[in-house]
Amino acid sequence: MKSTLFGVTLLVYCFLWTPAGLLIVYSFSKNRFGIKWEGFTLKWYLHLLNSPSINAAILKSLIIASVTMVLATIAGTVTAYGLYKYKFRGKKLLRTSLLLPIVIPYVVTGASLLVFFTRVMHIPLGYPSIIIAHITFSTPLAVFVIMGRMQRMDWAWEEASMDLGANRLTTWRKITIPFLLPAVISSAVLIFPWSFNDFTITYFVAGLGTTTLPIYIFSQLQYSLEPVIINVTSTIFVALPVMGLFIMSVLQKERT
Amino acid sequence: MRLKDKKTGFLLRHTHLLHVAPVSVWVVLFVFAPLVIVVYYSFVSTEAFGTIIPTLTLKNYEYVFHSALGRILARSLIYAMLANMACLLMGYPLAYWIATQGGKFKAFFVFLVVVPSWTCYIIRVYAAKMVLEESGLLNDIFLRLGLISSPLEMLYTPGAVLLGLAYIWLPFMVLPIYAALDGLDPSVLEAAADLGATPLHRFFTVTLPLTKGGIFAGTILTSIPALGDWLVPYILGGNKKWMAGNYVQYYFVVRGDFSIGSSMAVALTATVILMIYLFTKLGGEEALERII
Repeated sequence: MKSTLFGVTLLVYCFLWTPAGLLIVYSFSKNRFGIKWEGFTLKWYLHLLNSPSINAAILKSLIIASVTMVLATIAGTVTAYGLYKYKFRGKKLLRTSLLLPIVIPYVVTGASLLVFFTRVMHIPLGYPSIIIAHITFSTPLAVFVIMGRMQRMDWAWEEASMDLGANRLTTWRKITIPFLLPAVISSAVLIFPWSFNDFTITYFVAGLGTTTLPIYIFSQLQYSLEPVIINVTSTIFVALPVMGLFIMSVLQKERT
Repeated sequence: MRLKDKKTGFLLRHTHLLHVAPVSVWVVLFVFAPLVIVVYYSFVSTEAFGTIIPTLTLKNYEYVFHSALGRILARSLIYAMLANMACLLMGYPLAYWIATQGGKFKAFFVFLVVVPSWTCYIIRVYAAKMVLEESGLLNDIFLRLGLISSPLEMLYTPGAVLLGLAYIWLPFMVLPIYAALDGLDPSVLEAAADLGATPLHRFFTVTLPLTKGGIFAGTILTSIPALGDWLVPYILGGNKKWMAGNYVQYYFVVRGDFSIGSSMAVALTATVILMIYLFTKLGGEEALERII
């Protein structure tokens, strides 16, 4: 019984990891195409460093993910605090509305924003449209992550600070923000790769000029020009979440 | 308001507005307004270059219904449900093993499940292609083992699409089930054993019903995105058998016919909302709570 369960578990882990593992292994292969191993090399990684189009795509993705991370995390923190601390009319409605960007299919979100930007708002497609779209789907994530943490926090400190004569701003600065910081950082660590990785929504609202890394990979995939370059960039993509999750787990340990 | 204020300025009496007004405005502007516009577009005709003919019509829905809606939406639903079943059949044993046998390394085993879900979606689809294609890993292994004499055509089949969907969304099934299993009170299981239940009997009468919330949360988290997926049928299915997402993508991006695309987008969104309603009804409040 136990060994059957273990066997199934092992198979499922293989299912989850074989494709990504294959990418990582073959990003070091001398062979340019397919899965024939012809020896170890780092030359594709060096090639990546010297490729202006990939570097431009990486830079664009980094800019978009950074801006999104900062703005969505700030918006998420402020909103989560308001939703957690206050009772007001329409609170439930706001919570439900914040679920919408998470549950509506990405193609629909992307398509609806495309129509809205081009036909109604006349916002230029490119950085502005991509960043607005990314903030729209990232902020709810930040709100729910931070609210989840708030439910496990000890709020007596805040009241003590107010009772001892600190005004609300000082209390925010000295008590609330330091208390919330771990939650804020973990939501930022979640949003950064979320925005960096997003393909579908960006694909709809990017327009022609703004090629982020996932869009670049998509265009390469369609013409299959350099499979190994995709492997190399993919390996970086796998390394990124490992680092992010590592940071998050360290933060979690510090708090408990 | 919990904190006592002596001052009675409007903003101080309504501090919550400072907190929630910006996001509320944002949601109205960039979530609700675009959706309303899509609904509007689905009821009007558009000429080339996007000029709207502002008379309400059901023409788009008729077109979508005749050309595709029934077939493509039904196919999307079937694919999403089958992929969801596959995720459940793989995800439950995995979550169960981590929760019961994980010991000190539980966090690490969960980590191994989470990492793939944090990897870029398009790269995961591409990686699945490397496994399934004619010169891919599976064919290579089968040929070496002598199981087949010529490469199998696995890519561009419905099977490849299903496998791809299950592969992409599996982590989102494991996590809520694991959380439900991990939160299970061990004394309940002991009580069942003391009263003479065999392990198998105990699993089906105690463990499974008590983790229902986790199962439905996982079902929502896997079947909803699978239903709206377009890249998996596009790349692994060779863009041959469309799902609803492909239809939306084609009419919005390739054809630029926003009206027809909008009708499918509306139909897809309605289906999704209906499914969420159904699953939360079946799975109870817990299913919804476990999603967040």
